[in-house]
Amino acid sequence: MTTRRPMYACLLSLFIAACGGGDGAPSEPGTASAPQEAGEGTASTGKTHWTNDQPIGLGMGPVDSAMLERGLEDPTQWLLYGGNYSNFRHSPIERLTPEAVPNLQVAWSFPTGTDQQFEVSPVVYDGIMYISSSYNRLFALDAASGEALWRYDHPQPPDLLYCCGPVNRGVAISGDAVIMATLDARIIAFHRHTGEILWNTEIIDYHGGYAATGVPLVVGDLAIIGIAGGEYGIRGFFDAYSVATGERVWRHYTVPAAGEPGVETWSGTSYETGGAPTWNQGAYDPETNTLFWTTGNPGPDWNGDVRLGDNLYSDAVIAVDPATGERKWYFQFTPHDVWDYDGNTQIFLIDVIRNGREVKALVQPNRNGYFYILDRTDGSFISAVPYVQANWATIAEDGRPIVNEAAMPTEDPNELVCPSHLGGMNGAWTGALNPGLGLAFIPAVESCEYYQKGITAFVPGQMFLGGLYQLIDVQEGRAFGVLAAIDVATGETRWRYQDPVPLMGGTLSTEGGVVITGNQLGFALAFNAETGEEVWRHRLGGGIRSQPIAYEADGRTFVAIGSGNGRFLESTGAPDIVPEGGQLFVFELP
Amino acid sequence: MISAVGGCAPTDPASQYQEDPEALRRGESVFAGTCSGYCHGMNIVVGDVPNLFDCSWIHGGSNQEIFATITNGVAGSRMVAFGGRLPEGDDDIWKIIAFLKNEASGC
Repeated sequence: MTTRRPMYACLLSLFIAACGGGDGAPSEPGTASAPQEAGEGTASTGKTHWTNDQPIGLGMGPVDSAMLERGLEDPTQWLLYGGNYSNFRHSPIERLTPEAVPNLQVAWSFPTGTDQQFEVSPVVYDGIMYISSSYNRLFALDAASGEALWRYDHPQPPDLLYCCGPVNRGVAISGDAVIMATLDARIIAFHRHTGEILWNTEIIDYHGGYAATGVPLVVGDLAIIGIAGGEYGIRGFFDAYSVATGERVWRHYTVPAAGEPGVETWSGTSYETGGAPTWNQGAYDPETNTLFWTTGNPGPDWNGDVRLGDNLYSDAVIAVDPATGERKWYFQFTPHDVWDYDGNTQIFLIDVIRNGREVKALVQPNRNGYFYILDRTDGSFISAVPYVQANWATIAEDGRPIVNEAAMPTEDPNELVCPSHLGGMNGAWTGALNPGLGLAFIPAVESCEYYQKGITAFVPGQMFLGGLYQLIDVQEGRAFGVLAAIDVATGETRWRYQDPVPLMGGTLSTEGGVVITGNQLGFALAFNAETGEEVWRHRLGGGIRSQPIAYEADGRTFVAIGSGNGRFLESTGAPDIVPEGGQLFVFELP
Repeated sequence: MISAVGGCAPTDPASQYQEDPEALRRGESVFAGTCSGYCHGMNIVVGDVPNLFDCSWIHGGSNQEIFATITNGVAGSRMVAFGGRLPEGDDDIWKIIAFLKNEASGC
């Protein structure tokens, strides 16, 4: 008779949320199967590139640095993943109020033709919307009508090594270039009107366990991009590429090499497989000319015995000079992480009043369950307040965790540890921030799990986990989602919406006082930003994992949100009766 | 000594390790830390990797055949060669096999 112990219940959710890749996760699970199945990757005809030779757009000219620095001041534009360099995702559109949003009507819709999570945050400029899908399809659409203008399906090799789903979260725009990173660890620029490839650069050989799922961040004439692979024992880094030529200008490694400062925080030679991926996007402060980037878990994920020490610079935020990549300061959220608490969740740059003094803050809802407030001028710690159940540690006055020893992974775990490796929040989706209200809106997961460690060996190109987890709260239906409105000056939660299953979709805030997100049951949702009252829900079908935006085009007001969930739904609590398939919905305010 | 010559000795280390609780624990730990994270879990219901607890062995179910699969990998699949890669070498592979066979003792 076969005895099966639930302890091993699959790690597939790894793939879903974490490691960036998802990492996602982990972040989301393991090696990919060949992507060229029906409905994925490429069109049935074999055609992979549809360019455009007709005049399109409104004649707005190239995107310059000043436009990027203005962020969302112009409602006809959504240029950055985070909306602005501070990642507020806060639309200036005042018409999107709690009273008006229930009147939203579908204006048009567009299929991606691919399965797995549709995590995009669309970019809108010059009357054109750019969306990317899982498996790196890229579409240019008329932002008002939805007409397809050009398209590129990235030909994927059959042996991709992403951890957590074949996702892509969107593109960057700069000059006349639209820039996308790919699962096979390339970064490619396209002409924003023709779709022609301007340059195509390999970031790194993906066979080492690397994938790029995030969105490049353009600062000046550089496109900054991170990498996933925290479950493969990579050496993490983030790079800057010339927007004009695609040449790499600098690389910042997130794990020190032998002889470098910080290597003493890794026992033996464990730094060689230290992980610390960089799969989410950072933030930029033009005032101090500082780029902030975040890092993920050390490897192996759940067995820290082989990497004793703090494991710098994993699970940290690193401030660098954007011109050189040289580090100014760092702050590590989870030293010696053994729970897969990637520090890659969204960071917001916001000035707040603390004890009567203005603080130039960097705030983050960390995956470890605490909402951090740091001084972004020097990385000094100000406060950390739990925003979901967190029993793995308390946080000392200097910001260092005081770890609950019972929460450490063991070979025979019997302690439910919160949050689970999914988070809290997770870098696979976004929050938003209404600066007028001083509230950050954070979709998150409330769940606990068992962490089991085991003996592991590093094999290049294989997952390097050192254990496994049991998402017991998800399996037994106790996990749920929350949308938390958090006071960014104090970290205290002002209101919370509770959803039946973990929330894994991004958020949009509006000047009209609305927060828009979506859940894994397939509903687009809207809330009164001040009170948390639900004001609208609309069934889209597929579970929502995308990042909604708002914009104006042709004198009309639109909200765009994508639906389409991944395959490993049993790991997230989402219903598996709904088929996969990405679909963008664009609503219009009458 | 005579009994060994007479054919009563275990035919492979895994069979012997199935009677050794410490070896089984070691096999479980290596399996948990190296094999079960994504690739081979128990109770996998989604995915394209073999369930190693359902009594079905794609590449042969004898201890020696499983040893060969783990050691050499499977060409054209994500199963790479673990021979020489585990901390205690072949011994760890035999202990993994002992753990797998012990868990699926009803096959």
